[in-house]
Amino acid sequence: MNGSFRQSMAWLHTWVGLLLGWLLVAIFITGTSAYFREEITLWMEPETHDSTLTPNTLDMAVAVLNDKASDARSWDISLPSARHTVAELRWQPLQQRQQQGGGRNRGESVSMDADSGQVVEPRDTAGGNFLYRFHYQLHGIPREVGRWVVCLATMFMLIAIISGVITHKKIFKDFFTFRPGKGQRSWLDAHNATAVLALPFHFMITYSGLLLFMTMLMPWGIDAAYPENRRDFFSEVFSRGGEEAQRPGNPAEMVDIKPLIAQTEAHFGKPVTRIGVTNPNRDNAVISLRVDRDPAITARQRGGDPVQVYNGVNGELQETLLPSEDPVSPSWRIYNVFTSLHMARFADPLTRWLFFLFGIAGSAMAITGMLLWANKRTQQLKRDQVPGSSLKLVNGLNMATISGLMIAIAAYFIGNRLLPVTLENRGDQEIQVFFLVWLAALIHALLRPNRSGWQEQVALGTVLWLAVPVINVLTTDSHLFTAVAWQHPALASVDLVCLAFAGAGGYTFWRLIRKPAPAKHAPRKKPAKRTAPSTTAPAGENS
Amino acid sequence: MILLFAVCLAFSGMTLLALAMKRHQPQILDRKLPEPRARLARWSGWACLAVSLVCVLQVWPTGLALFMAIGLFAFAGLPLVFLLPYQQRLAWRLAMALPIASGALALVSA
Repeated sequence: MNGSFRQSMAWLHTWVGLLLGWLLVAIFITGTSAYFREEITLWMEPETHDSTLTPNTLDMAVAVLNDKASDARSWDISLPSARHTVAELRWQPLQQRQQQGGGRNRGESVSMDADSGQVVEPRDTAGGNFLYRFHYQLHGIPREVGRWVVCLATMFMLIAIISGVITHKKIFKDFFTFRPGKGQRSWLDAHNATAVLALPFHFMITYSGLLLFMTMLMPWGIDAAYPENRRDFFSEVFSRGGEEAQRPGNPAEMVDIKPLIAQTEAHFGKPVTRIGVTNPNRDNAVISLRVDRDPAITARQRGGDPVQVYNGVNGELQETLLPSEDPVSPSWRIYNVFTSLHMARFADPLTRWLFFLFGIAGSAMAITGMLLWANKRTQQLKRDQVPGSSLKLVNGLNMATISGLMIAIAAYFIGNRLLPVTLENRGDQEIQVFFLVWLAALIHALLRPNRSGWQEQVALGTVLWLAVPVINVLTTDSHLFTAVAWQHPALASVDLVCLAFAGAGGYTFWRLIRKPAPAKHAPRKKPAKRTAPSTTAPAGENS
Repeated sequence: MILLFAVCLAFSGMTLLALAMKRHQPQILDRKLPEPRARLARWSGWACLAVSLVCVLQVWPTGLALFMAIGLFAFAGLPLVFLLPYQQRLAWRLAMALPIASGALALVSA
């Protein structure tokens, strides 16, 4: 670590980047998919596809609930949205099992086809939630450990961003610079372009990632202020203004909900998305109608959707609850802005797509950085020198995390379609497919950490991503050639993104099998071709 | 639609900013520009980005809009970076044509 400040920053950037790069690539790729986790889950539950919201959906939902749980403590109906085709019906049974630890009782639930009123049972799958959870707590290790690992990686990512900016000599002069066909130089340019141009996004996503871990990272403040019970902090800060369930009253006829919905929709000017009924079919029934809140990113609380509450027997409006207008402390605002940005909580489809693209740019930055490290050292090899075992290891791990992970995700989707629907523990089996394929890719990568290894993995990845929509055609009735997929654009999008990945993979493969252009400054390439295989691989399949 | 216009305008802005830099002038126009012309390119580049920002402010609440604008500028810049060494003339033509086309589209659909 001798030399100037900038040199030591470069050293820091290089080695922090290398050590955590693999984990960060995996976090970035799976995290990017998380912007579409509900769409992915929808895609992975084809049983629910043939369902659309109709004017009768609510009546049918009430009928189903009356049939299954007419004397429940409460009902909760989530109407279908663009990202979820079926209605979700939940209820709390009257005889509630005593919960230990005071956790929230989730009660029971069914999914209902929104236009036939039939109960649907989607196949057992973790859907997009698996990739989403993987990106902040990994898998197969205790949750806390996984979160700590991801948290440390995030911290080092922040260090890598800052040291990277310091290391970069000519940020503005090189702002638009990309010099292809020059080996290491080109990788550095690509790494710089994806890093500098999207720097605000990279910084935001990393910093807000840390903020989301805030209470785990620094619990001492909470422990000091709430010594008895940390849960008090959360219920105070994140409270949803819970509705205290009253004792159930005497049986009574309930008011028709439909006119109330029309009234609420007229009042707020947007559709009701959730209907809650406390003490249904009793004389103290209460109906609350909820609409989605405005996409303001400085909202005070996680909940806080506008609600209108009605008397469930005579249909009188009791109160209108709006998200709190209380002045919000600046630190709380910052926390909210950053975390909502991280999760794209304001969520219109366009913004979601943009964040998905930002995520891809972030993955591309991490990937080009990893490839740059290996490429630099490959080019430093002397003529006829064989890459050492450490360089081989880095090459292998690069391949396993970049192309290997993309292969594993495609395999996860394919597993969802091909595993028998009635399989025991099906959701876990899908995840097992993911990890077995990833493990196989890792072993292959460590055995062949060279250009032919890259060719094989990229070729396989391309075939698998292409196979996802094709297998979808063969196994479901909601593929790209049906109207259903286009009625729910989320479904068509998943297939189209798979095709786009296949296209990017195909292009990468084509670049890989092309003879590398003889670089002007590196005449050694020709004789060394066999002994010092180039690791050049254009920026991964997902860029 | 207005967002599409904003992105296209940001692309033109980025191209003009690149045009203001000596290194990229031969790439974009095949010749060096005299200093006053380069300065003009720089100012019009910033002007394009400013108008683009105004458009983005119409779509989202201010805070989010500022963030998204920076993101959109990045997404206008990335294709430019990878276009310049391969298809130089195309970058300039796109910078001219895209805002006009998308602006017309935005007007028609509005």
